[in-house]
Amino acid sequence: MNAQARVLWHLMRADFLERVRRYSFLMTLGLALYLGYVVSVGQLKLWVDDSRGIYNSPWVGVVMALVINSFLSIAGFYVVKGSVERDRRTGVGQILATTPMSKPLYTLGKMASNLAVLLSMVAVLAVMAFVAQLVVGEDTHLQAGKLLAPLVVFCLPVMAIVAAFAVLFETIPFLCGGFGNVVWFFLWIGLMPASIFGGQALDLIGMGAISSDLYRQTALRYGATKHSFTLGAMADESRNKVFHWDGMDWTPEILLSRLVWIAAAVGLALVAAFFFDRFDTAQGSGRVRKLKVVSPGALAEAAAFPAALPAPAVHLHPLAQGARRFSFFGLLRAELRLLLKGQRWWWYAVALGLFIATLAAPLATVHKVILPLAWLWPILLWSGLGTREARHGTSGLVFSAARPLGRQFPAAWLSGVLLAVATGGGAVARFALADDWTAVGAWAVGALFIPTLALTLGVWSGTGKLFEIIFLVFWYLGPMQRVPPLDYLGAVPAALKAGMPLAYLAATGLLMVAATVGRKRQLARM
Amino acid sequence: MKLTIEGVGKRYKGNFWGLKDFTLELGAGVLGLLGPNGAGKSTLMRILATITRPTEGRALWDGTDIVRSPDGLRAELGYLPQDFGVYPNLNAVEFLEYMAAVKGLDRAAAARRIEELLVLVNLTEARKRPLGGYSGGMKQRIGIAQALLNDPRLLIVDEPTVGLDPEERVRFRNLLSDLGGERIVILSTHIVSDVEAVATGIAVMDRGRLLSYAEPEELLLSVEGRVWEWVIPSAELAAARERWKISSTVRRADGVHARVVSEIPPAPGAVRVPPSLEDAYLAVLEGDRARAAAA
Repeated sequence: MNAQARVLWHLMRADFLERVRRYSFLMTLGLALYLGYVVSVGQLKLWVDDSRGIYNSPWVGVVMALVINSFLSIAGFYVVKGSVERDRRTGVGQILATTPMSKPLYTLGKMASNLAVLLSMVAVLAVMAFVAQLVVGEDTHLQAGKLLAPLVVFCLPVMAIVAAFAVLFETIPFLCGGFGNVVWFFLWIGLMPASIFGGQALDLIGMGAISSDLYRQTALRYGATKHSFTLGAMADESRNKVFHWDGMDWTPEILLSRLVWIAAAVGLALVAAFFFDRFDTAQGSGRVRKLKVVSPGALAEAAAFPAALPAPAVHLHPLAQGARRFSFFGLLRAELRLLLKGQRWWWYAVALGLFIATLAAPLATVHKVILPLAWLWPILLWSGLGTREARHGTSGLVFSAARPLGRQFPAAWLSGVLLAVATGGGAVARFALADDWTAVGAWAVGALFIPTLALTLGVWSGTGKLFEIIFLVFWYLGPMQRVPPLDYLGAVPAALKAGMPLAYLAATGLLMVAATVGRKRQLARM
Repeated sequence: MKLTIEGVGKRYKGNFWGLKDFTLELGAGVLGLLGPNGAGKSTLMRILATITRPTEGRALWDGTDIVRSPDGLRAELGYLPQDFGVYPNLNAVEFLEYMAAVKGLDRAAAARRIEELLVLVNLTEARKRPLGGYSGGMKQRIGIAQALLNDPRLLIVDEPTVGLDPEERVRFRNLLSDLGGERIVILSTHIVSDVEAVATGIAVMDRGRLLSYAEPEELLLSVEGRVWEWVIPSAELAAARERWKISSTVRRADGVHARVVSEIPPAPGAVRVPPSLEDAYLAVLEGDRARAAAA
């Protein structure tokens, strides 16, 4: 093994071992097992028009490949993103930076490690695919090659691309945090239609290639095809045709296009090397750089500062008896400042623009579009709730103050609620003026639900990432795609009719209990 | 004002005791906690700071169990952990205002106190700069300021001088000495000179146990007449180290001046010298290890 390959191997190996020995990796495998389970019990099915294939090895393989590419492409990104950040946080990066290791080698190693983690999940799902075929029992003749081929051909490039994007996002300052998580969600939303309608060049998921093959086969069997291709959990009694499918026709074009995606993944990892700062803390985002850029005069002054100043002869006056007087509003004000501090002017400008839009736009548009957007905009502020102390290492300071559970915890939560009230305040004024008190009630539930969800997930996961992902899924499927059970703010009339605001109010209460239990557990485990 | 620690122990995963059967009673003054890495100093301090719950034993603050009723102590506690962070987007004043609100201080009183503390820790010039741009030493000084915000009657500081320049270190030691007159200060460090300068009592710990608790003078008396210094050629230093537990060496023109704690002179030319606290500390550690090896 030459020296470069050896470095790459050990970079990947160490990072992989570090991750798989964490408790969170077991949870990741649990997620993979669950996905495998829903396929095994037929909850997730693939339909071509109104028919599906018999559950033989090729069919199970292709269904599993599509499930993996559709779901693991989003969840996997969030699972693997963070390895560069870990090197930065633990200080290992500083040590690595002093070695002869090149930047491309580092980003390639990180990509390889990400890929190894993702492929371990794919491996679990591959085993589950065999189980699924036997559990469904329509054709119990196992053909390993035909089952595994779609997984290798379709999933490997997707996982490589996800692995590379995770590294790329981590090396670009404005994408390395929560904003990058949001950006990836929207990229992922675009992947599905691009894969089906964008032609071979954009068919990352493989849906285009698979659907073309299946349309051809169903057309041969049933005549004309409606070109309807569904992967989902919908139960539909009218869809009852089954056919025998003997597997993909692996054309050179398909194989070549998949290889091109793998090459693109390697290319992305190399692009990441261009942005990678090699743990140089003097670099960073423009904002950080701006803070550090000082005039030569100021530098000289700073250098002279410690020595030039004589030791101040200060005497600390004892605190007066009444000085220890806890004020909840004082703490709430401090928590609000902590929540908002550090936002740039444009953040406030957009929030203000959305606020004005809620006052000026037609009421229906406010309900369907502008309020959901106004309550999406502060997502990265809410995602800090419950995680700030761990993230910034202030737990020891904050939790050693009196009654952290009875004072600081509710103040932090209430600051999140006030943020929702402020950003969505225009909408509730409109609803009230329109005498739509049902909408006002649903709005109030939404204003309580979002920060409570953030706080609970933050406390239990220790990171804002989980809230960012789950809230984005709620936001996209609920208010935007109008799925009533996921409408947390009363944007869908069917959800209001079904009494979803009450359900969300109850959920908010349960989440609050869970958050309190979680924080108590944190305090006890410190 | 009394802090009573009765048989406190902390067991971690794998049946490892980080602290075992620790008993001590403290009144006003500065307690210096000395011990090698892993001695259990930070575990003890985290228990006394009401952050970690002990597995056994109890600690009482003016007669109140701090595990069962921590809030009484927390209102009077100042704590500087060994590793702590700050909110990078806040400046010094904002961060201290936040901590004052969390600690339940009146707004006006907090504002006055913050002004005094910023002068005290020499950060008045940098008060409006975001903490994210602070150096390690400046962050440490902000940590010291937040620990003193509520005029604590019990001040616990874990390795407080890490990252401070020599001038700041001396100032902080003087501050601790002043504060110790009217409150209990617990100072953990492995820098013996820091303890030597300010401590009114010294507790030596190793492997989770309290090996000795004494006033500095008592500790020095325990090795009085047993500290020797002699000059050896550089080439013979390695052999001398094998034979004696040398506590310190200084290279001079006439050779290496080596110090050792011993009942007998280590070499014919060795002379008795006045003991330092470092000699006494190492002697306590060595004595315990020798007893453990014999047992």
